[in-house]
Amino acid sequence: MRALIVDDSRAMRRIVGRILEGAGFEVLEAGDGQEALDVLEGLDSPPELSCVDWNMPVMDGFTFITEVRKRPEWRSITLMMVTTESEMDQIVRALAAGAHEYLIKPFTGEAMLEKLDLLGLLPTTTGV
Amino acid sequence: MTISAAPDQALVLAAIEQVWGSMLFASAEPWPSDLPAVFETGVQAQIELRGDWNGRLVLTCDSVVATQIAGAMLGLDPGEDLPEPDVHDAVGEVLNVVGGSVKGALTGNSALGLPGVTGTTEVPGRDDSFVVSWGEAPVYVQIVPDAA
Amino acid sequence: MTISPQAFTFVRELVRAESAIVLETGKEYLVESRLVPLARAGGHADVDAYVADLSKRRTPAAMKQVVEALTTNETSWFRDSDPFTALRQTVFPALAKTRSNRTLRIWAGACSSGQEPYSIIMTALDTPELAGWKIELVATDLSEEMLDRSRKGEYSQLEVNRGLPATTLVRHFERAGLNWRINQSIRERVEFRQLNLTRPFPPMGRFDIVFLRNVLIYFDLPTKRDVLKRVRQVMTSDAHLFLGAAEMTMGVDDAWERVPAGRSSVYRIREEQGTCVH
Repeated sequence: MRALIVDDSRAMRRIVGRILEGAGFEVLEAGDGQEALDVLEGLDSPPELSCVDWNMPVMDGFTFITEVRKRPEWRSITLMMVTTESEMDQIVRALAAGAHEYLIKPFTGEAMLEKLDLLGLLPTTTGV
Repeated sequence: MTISAAPDQALVLAAIEQVWGSMLFASAEPWPSDLPAVFETGVQAQIELRGDWNGRLVLTCDSVVATQIAGAMLGLDPGEDLPEPDVHDAVGEVLNVVGGSVKGALTGNSALGLPGVTGTTEVPGRDDSFVVSWGEAPVYVQIVPDAA
Repeated sequence: MTISPQAFTFVRELVRAESAIVLETGKEYLVESRLVPLARAGGHADVDAYVADLSKRRTPAAMKQVVEALTTNETSWFRDSDPFTALRQTVFPALAKTRSNRTLRIWAGACSSGQEPYSIIMTALDTPELAGWKIELVATDLSEEMLDRSRKGEYSQLEVNRGLPATTLVRHFERAGLNWRINQSIRERVEFRQLNLTRPFPPMGRFDIVFLRNVLIYFDLPTKRDVLKRVRQVMTSDAHLFLGAAEMTMGVDDAWERVPAGRSSVYRIREEQGTCVH
């Protein structure tokens, strides 16, 4: 399985990437929404998952998921917002625009794995 | 905690404690007021809030502390080297998450800017800031409303 | 990276002495994962180095931190997810067919900070077969402090990130400063009471469903056996018992049978046990 991490912070991409690699994903990265669209255009088949920050330069994450949802060939991508934006209104907006899940920063590795479990993206259920 | 339209020290400190604890595996305590809190070469991160309250949050610390914060966030071994742009990026992201938590706790709607990080040699005044501890070192936090 | 046998033994003995909780062999991963943050915060290369340092210094504050890290029952929403899917798809619909008074009585036996009982209520609200039913949920815990937290229903950002689907968050929670509070309409459906599982139970009536997850692991075998026996006595003959994924009744109390429910299992009282009534 492959995952595209879209976040303008390299540190955050590294943290999310490490968690996803631990869960068996091959990781792709982009620093903003436009770069992420370019990455998707260049792939033969879409990744199973994309973790998307909200506030980014050039194109923000909300615009990115809106753009992804316009494209039928990318319908299979599971979209998870991973952002510090945490107002109720914004979570509702992101879900309405096509995000499947929403993980609020700060988060722990366990929390991200549990979200992947909810999305059916973990090979086996985990849990201590 | 009271819920208000403008961020106060208690709210920002609570947000920092949460971020320190979960992302950096460290605890943030208020700095003792009678202790000097100085450093020479520092890193300053800022993030803007726009909406019912307009202003910015500013975080200033010694560059060694900034490197330690970045190292803790990335899970590096103590002493492992990290280039300056990566340190700035990590400290900026820490403040971004603090800013988002603060914004989410305020009443009304507002927007969060992108974090900006620069080097600085100026230690903020104790009067317009509060100081939290990173281990044995001070981290200055300022809540700066736009000039009226 | 795994914890060394010496370090594990030290931690196990420390926790046993301070809390009477037994960390059996096989719980190394638990010790490791809970102590990594403490080791890192203290600047140690790994958990072994941290434990070695601890066993040398024996600072009371540091020892207390270790015990707390291992005994704090950090709970997620819909913990392990499968039991809640089983509840909605299998257990609730089956019981809905056999209860003419349209009432279900549920006991959450170690509710900790409240995520489990509230998850049960939210699951019942999502079960069409239970529309308009009365759900009586009694949630108990040993700790008054945990019960107070549960009653308040307020959770940090980190806590609502744990296993709670975003759609459920927006439906059943509201912001409370940095925290989130579960809606009054959910809170008022749960009755919280103090209860020590190792003592005789107070009068509670009989239950159709009992959740007793991830608590038996902390007891020794005779205590486990005794608790399971007394749990049987407060269950209806066709009731369902949910245990933690790593727990089972086999070899402890053979009056139970394990029944598959979705991807999970539940325990039912064997029919030949004549001690139970409807």
